[in-house]
Amino acid sequence: MMLPQRLHKLFTPLIQPLLAVLIGLLAGAIAISFVGEPVFETYKAMWEGAFGNFYFLTSTLARATPILLVGLGVALAFRAGVFNLGSEGQMVLGAVSAALAALCIPGPPVVKLLAAIVAGMLAGGLWALLAGWMESRFKVQLLISTLLLNYVAVLFASYLVAGPFQDKTGSAALAQTPMIDQGAWLPKLFPGMSVHMGFVIAIVCAVVLIVILKYTAPGYEVKMLGLNPFFAQYGGVNKVKLLLLSMFFSGALAGLAGSVEVLGSQYRYVDGALTAPGFAWTGMMAALLANSNPLGTVVTAILLAALETGAMGMERNTEVPLEVASVIQAVLILFISAKLTLKLVKFRRKEREVHGTV
Amino acid sequence: MELFDYSLFVSAIRMVSPILLAALGGALCARVGIFNVGLEGLILAGAFSAIVGNHFTENIFLALLTAVAVSVLVSLLFGYATIHLKSNPIVAGIAINFLMLGLTTFALRAIFDVKGAYYNKDMSGLPKVDIPFVEDIPVVGQLISGHSPLVYTAFLAAILLYVFFYRTVTGFRVLAVGKNEAAARSLGLKVTTIQYGAIIMSGVLCGLAGAQLSLGQVTMFTEGMTAGRGFIALVAMMLGQSHPIGIAGSSLLFGLMDALSIRLQGFSMPTQFTAMLPYVITIIAMFFLKDRGSDSLAGQHTSR
Repeated sequence: MMLPQRLHKLFTPLIQPLLAVLIGLLAGAIAISFVGEPVFETYKAMWEGAFGNFYFLTSTLARATPILLVGLGVALAFRAGVFNLGSEGQMVLGAVSAALAALCIPGPPVVKLLAAIVAGMLAGGLWALLAGWMESRFKVQLLISTLLLNYVAVLFASYLVAGPFQDKTGSAALAQTPMIDQGAWLPKLFPGMSVHMGFVIAIVCAVVLIVILKYTAPGYEVKMLGLNPFFAQYGGVNKVKLLLLSMFFSGALAGLAGSVEVLGSQYRYVDGALTAPGFAWTGMMAALLANSNPLGTVVTAILLAALETGAMGMERNTEVPLEVASVIQAVLILFISAKLTLKLVKFRRKEREVHGTV
Repeated sequence: MELFDYSLFVSAIRMVSPILLAALGGALCARVGIFNVGLEGLILAGAFSAIVGNHFTENIFLALLTAVAVSVLVSLLFGYATIHLKSNPIVAGIAINFLMLGLTTFALRAIFDVKGAYYNKDMSGLPKVDIPFVEDIPVVGQLISGHSPLVYTAFLAAILLYVFFYRTVTGFRVLAVGKNEAAARSLGLKVTTIQYGAIIMSGVLCGLAGAQLSLGQVTMFTEGMTAGRGFIALVAMMLGQSHPIGIAGSSLLFGLMDALSIRLQGFSMPTQFTAMLPYVITIIAMFFLKDRGSDSLAGQHTSR
C-alpha cells in the first residue's frame, strides 16, 4: 500500500521532463533523418562523444561546470520569485574581475587564487544587486533591467580587455588579458583531463544551496516569497531585504561560474569566450528543466552539457551538424516550460483572490 | 573621413528598418499581454528563408513571401506554446531563439551544404527605390531616396500601426486585451483570437525584418546574422513604450548608434561605449517611464 504511493510520488514529477526529453530526441531524429543520416547511429555517436570514454566524460563535466553554477544562481532567484535574466552579464563581469584580481593582486599564488574567486563573486553579486535595488527602490522591472545590464556588462568587459588591460605580449593584438600565474590556476582533477576543481566547487555550492533552502529560516522565507509573496509579507518576511539577498547570491553564483571558467580552464579572460558558447542561457535552461531544484539542476546541467559535447563528437564522426544539439535543447525547453507556468498561473489566480481585484 | 556626414545618416536609416519592423511586431505582442523575447529567432527565420526562397524561386517577391510565411509559422509555434500550453512567454521566447539559431545553421548545411555563410552572386537583392522628384532635392533626396522598399515599409508600418491602435475599433479591442485580459474577456472579446492575430502579425513584421537583413544591403546569409538585433528591437520597444511613434523614434536613435559605432571603428576609437549607449539610455529611461512601462508589460507578473 505504501510502496506504490511512494513510487507514485517519486515518479509523477518526472513524467513531464521525461516526455519532454523524448519529444526533444524525436525532433532531433527528424532533423538527422532530414540530412539523410541513420538516426540510431548518430545518437550513438553523440552518446560516445559525451560519455564514450573517460576523457569525453571529463570534458562533459568541465562544460557542465559554468552551466551548473549559473543554473544554481537562476534557480535561487526563481525560488524567490524573480526572473534573473542577467546571468550572462554577471558571469562575464565575474570572469573579468577574477582575471584582473589574479593578475594585479600581489602575494603568494594561493592568495591570488582566493582573491580572484572572491572578486569574481563580488562583481557578479553586486551587478545583480544593482538590478535588485532598482526593482525594490524605483520599481524598474527586474526582468527588463537584468536583460539590459547584460549588454552593458559584456561591452564593458570587452572594452577592458581590448583597451587598458589588453595582453600586449603576443604578436597578434587579441582582445584578452595576459595569462595568469600558473600557481593561481585551479588544479585539474585528473592530469591531462579538462575537468577542474571548479566542478567540485559547483557541486559543493549545489549541496549548500539545498541545505540552505531546506533547513534554514532564510531559505524557508525565500521559498515562501516565491510561492506567495503576499502570504510571506503577512508572515513578517522582509521582502526587500530578501529580494536583495537572493539577487546578490544569484549574481555571485553566476560570477563564480565566470571565475572558475577563467581560473580553471582558460587562465585568462578572452573576449567572447564565455558568451559565444552561451553558458548563461544554457544554465538558465538547466534551472528551468529542473524546476529550480538545486539537485535537479546538477543533473540537467550535466545533461545539457552532454548534449553539447556529444554533438561535437557527433560532428567529428558523422555528417550531421552539431546544431542538432540546440534544436533538441530548444524543443525540450519549449515542452518543459508548459508545466512551469501552469504553476505560475495557479498562484497568479490566488494573488487575485487575495486582492479581490484583477 | 568626417565623423558626421550624410552617409552616416543614410546608413542609420538603413539600419533602422529591421529594428523598427521587429520592434513593431514586439509591440503588438506586448499590447496583448505577451512579452515576445523570441523576436531574435523570428528575424533569423525570416532572414534565412528569404535566402532559401530567393535561391529556389529566383523571384524577389516570392522570396519575401517565403520569409514572411516561415516567420509566421515559427510565431505560431510560439503562440501555441504561450497561449495554448500556457508556457511562460519568456521561456518560450528563449527556446524559440535557440531553436531558430540551431535550425537555420543546421538547414544551411543541409540545403546549401556550406558552413558559416551562404553567398551566391547570381542572387539579386531587394531593388533600390528612387522616389521621383524627391531624389533631386539636394540633401533630403540623398537621405530619403534610394533605399530598399522594406525601409519605407518599416516607417509606413509604424504609421499604420499608430492609426490601427488609436483610430480603429479593432485597435481599441487589442489595447483592451493588453490592459486587462479578464475584463476584455468578460466583454465578449475573443481574447485568444486577438492574441493569435497579434502574434501572427509580429511574425509577418519579423519576417520582413529578416528579409531586409539578408536581401537588403548584402545578399547573403551568415550563421546568427541577427547578432542581437532582436533584443535591440525589444529594447527599442521598451524605450518607445510600445507606442508606434515612440518606437520609430527609439529605433532611429538605435540605428544611428549602430551606424556610429561602425563609423568609429574607422577612427580606432573604442566602439564599446557607443554600442552600450542604447542600453544605458533605456535603463535611465526606465526610471522615468516605470509607471507607464508596466502598462506594456501587463500580464507579466514574474518579477513581482
